Amino acid sequence: MTPPPGPHLSPDDVENWLTGILDAERTRHLDLCPECFDRAQAEREIVEQLAALPLMGPSEGFADRVMASVTMADPFALRSLRQRIFASRRSLAVAASLALAVVGSMAASIAWSLANQDVLVAAGQWVLAQGTQAGWLALRALASNFIEQPWYESVRSFAGHPGRLGAALGAASLAYLSGMFALRRLLALPSQQVAHVA
Amino acid sequence: MAEGPEWARLTDQEVVLLARGGREAAYRELVRRYERPVFALLYRMVRDRELAEDLSQETFVKALNAIDSYRPEFKFSSWIFKIANNAAIDHLRRRELDTLSLDGSPHAETPEAMQATALQIGARQESPLDAVQARELGGAIEAAIGRLRPEYRSCILLRHVEGRAYEEIAEILDLPLGTVKTYIHRARNELRLALAHLRE
Repeated sequence: MTPPPGPHLSPDDVENWLTGILDAERTRHLDLCPECFDRAQAEREIVEQLAALPLMGPSEGFADRVMASVTMADPFALRSLRQRIFASRRSLAVAASLALAVVGSMAASIAWSLANQDVLVAAGQWVLAQGTQAGWLALRALASNFIEQPWYESVRSFAGHPGRLGAALGAASLAYLSGMFALRRLLALPSQQVAHVA
Repeated sequence: MAEGPEWARLTDQEVVLLARGGREAAYRELVRRYERPVFALLYRMVRDRELAEDLSQETFVKALNAIDSYRPEFKFSSWIFKIANNAAIDHLRRRELDTLSLDGSPHAETPEAMQATALQIGARQESPLDAVQARELGGAIEAAIGRLRPEYRSCILLRHVEGRAYEEIAEILDLPLGTVKTYIHRARNELRLALAHLRE
C-alpha cells in the first residue's frame, strides 16, 4: 500500500477541503490517509448539520415592539447633518466642494465689486432712477383710476362732513374690537374639565 | 409597504440612508431583514426564547437609535451582529456571576448568612414555552453547541449557521483573523467529539 504523501492535514487544509479549494497534493494525501479522511468527513458532517439548523424567528409583533422604543432620526437636526457630512469620504468631499463653491463665488463677487466701484455706482444709480420713475407712474395711474370711479363723488361728499366720517370710523372700530373679543373667546382653552361620554 | 422604493432591490446601506432621512418604513425593513438571523444567533447563545427575544429587541433598539453613528463603509450585518453578540456575551457573563453566588454571598461570614443569601431553587414545572424550547433546541447538535464556550459558540454560529466570512466574523467579534480560525477549528473539533457516538 502506498504511504500518503506529506504530513497529515492541518486545520487550514481541512477548511480548504470543506470549501473545495484544497490543492492536488494535499487531496492526494487525504485520499490515501484513512485517519485524515475520517476526520475531514466527520467535520463535513458537522458543517452540514450546522447549515441545516432551522432559522428561528421572534414572536409576532416583534417589529412593532422594536419601533415603539425607537426614536426616529430627524434629518434636519444639526447633529444629524454633521454626522451625514462626515459619514464617508465622498459625502465629505461633496460638502467641501459645495462650501468651496459658495465661499469662492462670494469672494469673487466682493473682489469684482471693489475693482469696479464706478460701474457698480452707475448701475445702482440707473436702477434707482428707473425704479423711482416706475413707482411714480404707478402711483399716478392708481390715483387717476381712483378719481374716475363712479362712487368717488359720493365718498368725497361723505368725507366732507367730519361728523359722519367720525361716526363711521367709530362704528368700524367697534365692529373690529367685537370681532377680536369673540375670536379670543373661541380660541381660549376651557377653564373647566369637560366630561367625556364613553 | 405599498408605497416607496422596492425594498428588495435596495442594499442595506441604501435602506440605512432612507432611515436616516426619517422614513419609518426603512426602519421596519432593517428589522424585517435581520430579525430572524439576530434572534436565531441570540437564542442559540442564551438558550432561552424569552430572553433571546428581549436581547433581540434591545439589539435593534440600540442599533436603530444610533443609526446616525453607523458608518456605511462597514457592512450593516456586521454592525448589528456585533451589537447582538455583545448583548449575549454581557448577559452570559452576568449569569456566570449569578451562578457563582448560588452557594451564598461571598461576603457572608457565617453558615447562617451563607444560607440566607443562597439562591433557593425549587421544583419547577415545565411551561409551554419550555416545551417549545426543548423541541427547538433538543437536537444533539443543538445540545453540543450549548456546551461550547460562548466565544466558540459565536464563531461557529456566525460561520456555519449564518454563513459569514472569516473576515466579517473577526470584525464582528473584534478578534484577530487567526484567533477566529482557531476558535472555529476548536469548536468543530469539540462538536465532532461530542457527536462521535452518533456516528458509530
